[in-house]
Amino acid sequence: MKNKKLLSVLLLATMLLSACAKPGEFKVMDAWARPAASGENGAVYFTISNATNTGDTLLSVSTDVASAAEVHMSMMDANGVMSMQMQESIPVPAQQEVIFKPGGLHIMLVELNRDLKIGDTISLTLNFEKAGSITIQAPVKE
Amino acid sequence: MTSKHIHVLLYILATSLVLALIAGFTLTRPYVYHAAVINPPLPVTDFTLQTANNESFRLSDARGKIVLLFFGYTNCPDVCPTTLATFKQVYEKLGNNAQKVRFVMVTADPERDTPEKVAAYAALFNPEFIGLSGNLTDLEPIWKELGVFVEKQDSNSAAGYLVSHTASVYVIDQSGNLLMTFAYGTNALDMADDLTQLLKQSH
Repeated sequence: MKNKKLLSVLLLATMLLSACAKPGEFKVMDAWARPAASGENGAVYFTISNATNTGDTLLSVSTDVASAAEVHMSMMDANGVMSMQMQESIPVPAQQEVIFKPGGLHIMLVELNRDLKIGDTISLTLNFEKAGSITIQAPVKE
Repeated sequence: MTSKHIHVLLYILATSLVLALIAGFTLTRPYVYHAAVINPPLPVTDFTLQTANNESFRLSDARGKIVLLFFGYTNCPDVCPTTLATFKQVYEKLGNNAQKVRFVMVTADPERDTPEKVAAYAALFNPEFIGLSGNLTDLEPIWKELGVFVEKQDSNSAAGYLVSHTASVYVIDQSGNLLMTFAYGTNALDMADDLTQLLKQSH
């Protein structure tokens, strides 16, 4: 009788634990966009977190606030020269995070059709090979 | 004088000596700049470039003030706004001292950047910030003298070509000499500390 009670407690604990750990989650978080004027180019940053056991790939990005949304990477050489390179796709390996941040990977918003002001929020859709489309909200901040 | 009195006296003497040493060390310890210091400072050839409303900016007109020069282009979405956002923070951290510093962005892309465009781009961060452009024949000697690398780079981007450029910030002193450079990514607090120190030295 005692054993049965213990078993159910253990079973409940296991269920609770698994509810907390959320294994296999794939998400995009901490998104933000830079302030920029209409007609100019903007940038969006975020973190892609892949806690699943399969790798994925970011294929494209779309938004209604600009003519185009492209993935670029800024790179600095040993002489302090900064270059930007457009990326065709971005691999997101299993159990890893890919961080988009100033001076590194970023989404380049080409030719904004409106001002991005601090306090605004823009919507961005990321298209992944396996996870499909994920739409995120990015607040505009500095 | 009893031996107890002597002990107390010795104790006071020893403590004062230690305190004096600590104070002396703290006060005389030289300030270490976060920037790369150019020694001796390099005189910069005077130049004139254009800003908004058909106005021009001559470097020598800023004599008596520290000039922070940064090279970039307005199509740049990541690195250039990052530096201008840092400038904005530096300006705020400097408080009243900000009036003794000029924050200037010079284009690395005169083909697309009109003076109006660069001026508006810089002013978006702070209306006091100056944006400059000009003819390639005016810009090239400035890039060359300061060692600023600029290269157009073809790309499939909808934004057209991209520009690779040196992303450092050049610090020109009150007499028009290149004094130091900040590497890209230097944080606003470190920049503000260095500038405050420079202003302190020059009163």
